[in-house]
Amino acid sequence: MRTQIPLIQHAHGRLIGARETAIPLRLQVEEALASGADVVFDFTGVEVTQSFIDALIGVLILKRGPDVLDQMVFKSCSDDARAIIEFVATDRADQYLKTHAH
Amino acid sequence: MTSLVCPAYLSVKTPDSLIGLCGTALAAEDGVTLEAHALRFADPFGLALLGATFYMLQRRGQKVRVAGLSDAVGSYLQRMDVFEGVELVDCAPPRGQRHDQSDGLVELTRLDQRNQIDRAANQLAEALVGRMPDIDPNEPWDEMSGDNTADRIAIPISYALTELLNNAMSHARLKGHGDACVWVASQYYRKTGRLQLAVVDNGCGMLETLRYHASLRDLPRKTDLEAILAALRPRVSCNRDLGVFNDSVNQGIGLTTTARIAEHAGGRLVVVSGAGYHDPLGQSRRLANSARWQGVAIALECQRDALLNVRYRELMPPIEGMPPLHLRFEE
Repeated sequence: MRTQIPLIQHAHGRLIGARETAIPLRLQVEEALASGADVVFDFTGVEVTQSFIDALIGVLILKRGPDVLDQMVFKSCSDDARAIIEFVATDRADQYLKTHAH
Repeated sequence: MTSLVCPAYLSVKTPDSLIGLCGTALAAEDGVTLEAHALRFADPFGLALLGATFYMLQRRGQKVRVAGLSDAVGSYLQRMDVFEGVELVDCAPPRGQRHDQSDGLVELTRLDQRNQIDRAANQLAEALVGRMPDIDPNEPWDEMSGDNTADRIAIPISYALTELLNNAMSHARLKGHGDACVWVASQYYRKTGRLQLAVVDNGCGMLETLRYHASLRDLPRKTDLEAILAALRPRVSCNRDLGVFNDSVNQGIGLTTTARIAEHAGGRLVVVSGAGYHDPLGQSRRLANSARWQGVAIALECQRDALLNVRYRELMPPIEGMPPLHLRFEE
């Protein structure tokens, strides 16, 4: 089962960037993950900031660990969005692993 | 009324006199008259600080009067919406060009709600690009990237504004400054091809935000400038870890990335907080004459056309020792 999240529906222009915007979306994602569904983030038509991606995905990695990424799909990302997602995921996974090393 | 003489320049290039003026005005206990005969030039940084100062004075019930503005400067400041509630005395009448878009300026905007950030950042960036006479917002989209020149300029502007507003709306409101506001102004200077964005808040300031952070904890003397320099380093944030509500407020990357956008676009990010002043292309120092700004004031300057070449992959700080993750990307 897949839950689709078209980010453009939450944008007020070409960029979706406020941490605040990510919070209700993340609650939606957490519900979907809890039901065992994969979550598909659809980036068609939008660019994102690092802060938005961190509030959406980085927080979930800190809470649940990097394995949560196995349930996530990033669809139709621009090169810039992809770079930001890769950075946030890697940085927060690194932080999680260091915190839980002992 | 307390009478103050306005300097000739209200600009990021003259931070000591600009912030000294704002501080003196805010220290007044009665109404303030700004004698502005000498004022010749103001940039978005100066306008945002002046607008914030006028707003705070009026919130305290203090009358604000501006006297002796020249025709050119007065007309410009009118169009930038700096004078809301301000009494103008002995000033040349406005020339009726309030909506003239030829000079690429976007009016001073005040924000006080976090849920305004996305809408405001996108609208301000689009307004700024929309007032660039050589950029056609209706240019056909590139088939590969799905955007056009206007988008490729507007998106990094919006990105920088959003990150600065994210910071201002979260950190500024700590330590008893829950009612802090943020002011944004911007302008594109056609002759030089440069643009300036200014984001000013009246919150707790960087030193209060980072006072107990590891980057400052062991310093014998904690200063505003040390706090600014720490905040510009990647992964320095007062709340990088999960908080009491199992949330994380900040990764500590936003300000670093914004500074790098400016740098990659041939510009700089100037930061003032308290008595600290940081200019990556000039001096980082304590403001002269005991000048200080309660909050954070930032100016991003860059070459407009260089924004077309900003690539976010090059802006992100390195992560050492961590193997790449397997992430599921789909077309």
